[in-house]
Amino acid sequence: MSKNFYHYPVWVRLWHLINAVLCLFLIVTGFSMLYSDPDNALVVKFQRAVSIHNVCGVLLTISYTLFLFGNLFTSNGKHYLLTMKGLGKRLWKQGRYYAYGYFKGEEAPFPVSSERKFNPLQQVSYVGVMYLALPMLFITGWALMFPEFILKKFLGFSGIFLTDQFHVILGFLIVIFLFIHLYVITMGKTPLSNFRSIITGWQESH
Amino acid sequence: MILSRYLVCLTVVLFVFSQQAIARVEYQDSLSVTRGAELSLYAEDNETNCLVCHGKLIYTLTDTVMGMTRKQLMSGQNLIMPGMFYNSVHWSFSCLDCHSEEFRIFPHSIEARFETSWGCIDCHGYDPNYEQYGFEEIDAEYQKSVHYTATDGLITCWKCHDPHYYTPLARQTQGGREYILRSNEMCLRCHSNANVMGLITDENVDIVLPKHEWLPDVDRHLEAVRCIDCHTRMNDSVLVAHEVMPADSAVRGCADCHSQNSILMGTLYKYAAMESRDEKGFVNGVILRNDSYVIGANRSKLISFAGLLIIGMTLAFALVHTIFRIVIKPREHVHE
Repeated sequence: MSKNFYHYPVWVRLWHLINAVLCLFLIVTGFSMLYSDPDNALVVKFQRAVSIHNVCGVLLTISYTLFLFGNLFTSNGKHYLLTMKGLGKRLWKQGRYYAYGYFKGEEAPFPVSSERKFNPLQQVSYVGVMYLALPMLFITGWALMFPEFILKKFLGFSGIFLTDQFHVILGFLIVIFLFIHLYVITMGKTPLSNFRSIITGWQESH
Repeated sequence: MILSRYLVCLTVVLFVFSQQAIARVEYQDSLSVTRGAELSLYAEDNETNCLVCHGKLIYTLTDTVMGMTRKQLMSGQNLIMPGMFYNSVHWSFSCLDCHSEEFRIFPHSIEARFETSWGCIDCHGYDPNYEQYGFEEIDAEYQKSVHYTATDGLITCWKCHDPHYYTPLARQTQGGREYILRSNEMCLRCHSNANVMGLITDENVDIVLPKHEWLPDVDRHLEAVRCIDCHTRMNDSVLVAHEVMPADSAVRGCADCHSQNSILMGTLYKYAAMESRDEKGFVNGVILRNDSYVIGANRSKLISFAGLLIIGMTLAFALVHTIFRIVIKPREHVHE
């Protein structure tokens, strides 16, 4: 008995698409900037990578602000509210399911419903990425465009160096998140069903 | 009229001499003063034949026929300062080892005065004793340099490295600030001196230093960097590169020097970002075309490597999971 429900409203899908495209550009240009050297342009020429990275960073900040407003004023925000009580237990349950139960054909412990869009692991990682990692990335990224606000020295290191390293580390976290996100998405009803639903908005379920 | 000319000449010569004397005092502080003069087999010969006039700022000219004597000033370029000569690497030579025998006769004949000067390569080239210094390569580089090509060879080795006073600066000072200062003095002796540069160019030499004002913190750059670091084509195989390039080929990219050293980066980045924003505005100067980002400037090799490692591990983890999914073929289940 299949029960389809409309899961992702248009604005969420549109935001998600913009977010995905901008993040991909940021990751590719970010890698180009981090690993290229003067004689060897990695994927994108260094100076072009800087320009694209800056433009995408500014656009992502704008799209993120709109997303924040969306979460504040629509029901989408509730999926990002963590219930701390019993969180560890729920995370373990979901982790155990991915590592073990899934292969045994067990039922998902936290099936998708209109009330619950994310399972506990997803919820924690999405909250971490959207409410912690991305804001820090924006702050450090913008700080590098306004370097006069960065501390000259901190713990004996150049403030700019530390800001940059923090930005880079957060960038790595986003890349890791992206890979896990893409992979876990293939664990839907069929490997492609979740991809379909973020485009059409409709979630297939049993 | 003659008196005023004399006074002008005297002032010029005294000025030149005083400049060189200051340099000499510094040299003599760090080198044994009399070593060469005591040891040289030719010291006496040099003194009676040459230095009796050329080693003195004021020498005595004698007309043997008329029996007259007069005191004369030795012109700057013919003046050899004995103390500095005997402290140089060539202290053990007789003047006439390098200069024509005809100079023994006074007044010097016109043939003697047209003698061809030896170059470094004439003695030091192709000699296994000097192989490590690469004189041949230095000579080849020099012949490609603007010093040679733009002046038809008028600027010889001697213009920078006076053989009478040469000391191996780079090896003696072990590359500290003193070495940089002395190395740059060698360039500025002509390039900031209108009297000298006027012989070969009509260009205004006063603009040498203002030309460098595009450098952030220009004074500290000029203290810490040799002129030749930016103005020669770099060559690892000789101790000091000699292929001086035309001014417009000099290094101008910050990244050429600052790409690896993060210590240098903090202030440079700030300076470039603010400069660019003031000049072109935020959108054009910071977002679209931000030259303050420098390749590898803030790179931490450790973090860059750790990042790749963790991303690799994530992918490996996903791969293992995928393999399990293919092998075990989980039954249909409810999951997002």
